Amino acid sequence: MIFNIGDNIISPIGWTTAENWSAVAAERIGLRSYTHRFGLPEPFFASLLDEEKLDEKFSKLPHNQEEKYTKVEKAAILSATDAVANAGINPADPQVIFVFSTTKGNVELLEDHHGYEPERPYLWRSAQLVARHFGNPNEPVVVSNACISGCAAQVAAARLLHRHGYRYAVVIGADVLSKFIISGFQSFKALSPERCRPFDADRTGLNLGEAAATIVYARNRADIPTGKPCLCLAAGAICNDANHISGPSRTAEGLFTAVSQVLDGFDVANLAFVNAHGTATRYNDDMESVALERARLTDIPVNSLKGYFGHTLGAAGVLEVILSTQELLHHRVLRTVGCENPGTAAAIRVAQQPMETGKTAFLKMISGFGGGNAALLVTVGEPPVVAEKADTAGEPRIFAEASITDTAAVLPDGTRLQATSTDTKQWLSELYNHLDLAYPKFFKMDRLSKAGILAAEMVMRAVGQANEELKSDWGVVCFNRAASLDDDRTYQATIQDPENYFPSPSVFVYTLANIVAGEMAIKYKLRGETSFYVSEHFDKEKLKKAVADVFATTRTRHLLAGWVDYDNGHCNIQLFVFEN
Amino acid sequence: MEQLIEELKKEIIEVLNLEGMTPADIDENAPLFGEGLGLDSIDALELIVLMEKNYGIKLQNANEGKEIFKSVKVMAEYINTHRTK
Repeated sequence: MIFNIGDNIISPIGWTTAENWSAVAAERIGLRSYTHRFGLPEPFFASLLDEEKLDEKFSKLPHNQEEKYTKVEKAAILSATDAVANAGINPADPQVIFVFSTTKGNVELLEDHHGYEPERPYLWRSAQLVARHFGNPNEPVVVSNACISGCAAQVAAARLLHRHGYRYAVVIGADVLSKFIISGFQSFKALSPERCRPFDADRTGLNLGEAAATIVYARNRADIPTGKPCLCLAAGAICNDANHISGPSRTAEGLFTAVSQVLDGFDVANLAFVNAHGTATRYNDDMESVALERARLTDIPVNSLKGYFGHTLGAAGVLEVILSTQELLHHRVLRTVGCENPGTAAAIRVAQQPMETGKTAFLKMISGFGGGNAALLVTVGEPPVVAEKADTAGEPRIFAEASITDTAAVLPDGTRLQATSTDTKQWLSELYNHLDLAYPKFFKMDRLSKAGILAAEMVMRAVGQANEELKSDWGVVCFNRAASLDDDRTYQATIQDPENYFPSPSVFVYTLANIVAGEMAIKYKLRGETSFYVSEHFDKEKLKKAVADVFATTRTRHLLAGWVDYDNGHCNIQLFVFEN
Repeated sequence: MEQLIEELKKEIIEVLNLEGMTPADIDENAPLFGEGLGLDSIDALELIVLMEKNYGIKLQNANEGKEIFKSVKVMAEYINTHRTK
């Protein structure tokens, strides 16, 4: 349980939480059609930030004039500046930790670096610059877990506050759009040619949006500023479908489990509404309806905010929690803009008109590529009495480990295999043959996932779990340096030349850091938490702490965890099986 | 048509990374999805890119692929009729 003591949203319809609330309450919509934007050959509907206004507002901030910031960094800094001021905390205090949620950061610099240093597309670098802007001395935590990143970052914040000794966590979610991102979703045929219609029977796909949103969380209720209401993140859970890297489970396995966990012991009569992911893709909205039916929540009003902002990627989980909290504070449930005629796999109660509410809690749901699902329970007023899970986690124990680099692999039994080829693709195929692995999907994976799966196979065999039996108490925690940059460069090559512009969907699907973790979850049917963090360096102690956090706060008892990095032809995998 | 079918088989093996397969392993009448080659939704999207890149055929709606990708033979017939390059 942690407490929201200040927040902000920067979006195309407002520069503060209050402005955004007023805009959505008046049903002002940020989505519109764009033609030839970002040099894209096809038009698209999206919600884009006013860049001139962003620059103007940013220029008024006191900041290091030596440092040049990118669009996503400016949006993140502006958002956090307002939230930190609202919270009344000193962001330079060592008791403050920054948590940065983003899916693609500065990926547009792959097309043109605009004079930025080569490290600038690395997510940890942007996070460092944002934290340093505020004079914060701690290494920021970077969560890159596809679309669930914003909610996963809030789960991470709760752990940092309760288990790592921090007093405040500044959780920033930020993503901006580019040719890279929009062309990829276009190649997926996932974008709607009109304003999106979440949960509508005739929905035609999603719209994308730009935003930055920040919540400052405090560990202690006593740190809520005088006169402010008690806004509480009461519970959070992350679970994997173990089904497909880009398609949700038709039976909503991961989301249903995450929802069940956060509502365990909570009286759902207090739920004012469910704020769903509601992307307006056929499969997502159907899957969410199935999760709600399985969780017996079909009587609770359900809304989606995508009809106002589009899908704001790494910002979505933060932005939507802030606005949903505003709904509770204003005793109002917003309608699902765009839904005229609900039609989903299971019948649910879509909020088609705004309604009054006197209830004090909402459930947030979110799902994404890599099979990740997250659920959060947020309350206003007196926090619920939630039975905290007893912290039975001791020092996580390592049961198997394996490593793969460009030149060698070390198996769990200590056997060392030397690469006979300097071509990493060839070397990974050699390892595949050495393991006598029969997994045709391997050849469709990007190099990061290939290397990750090979190491996973080694350690899972060592512990007798390299099978397809369901493992509901197994999860995955990975860290790396380059996120998905290796694959990002491959994808960029498919869109770089306007004369040879053929965005590849099978490459784009791997342009998310956490897909490698999703591949592991799918292959071994791991339905516990999957989390992905980006960090400048591998730090085994940090990994062990993240593993201990999962063991202490979830029902996951076994973790495939480690450092899984692939960058510029260099492979560095160190994977472990941890058990509690 | 035989030549196009052969060409298409090679292209499918290459773009979908069907490691270890040769054109002779693909039955031109067998379903591409579900059974047969066991392809998935991302493979279908990649076949849409293949049609545009190599034959100048642009499908706006992924659902159109359901009929076209019934088999290599059906796909070749569609390409033969609609190709612009």
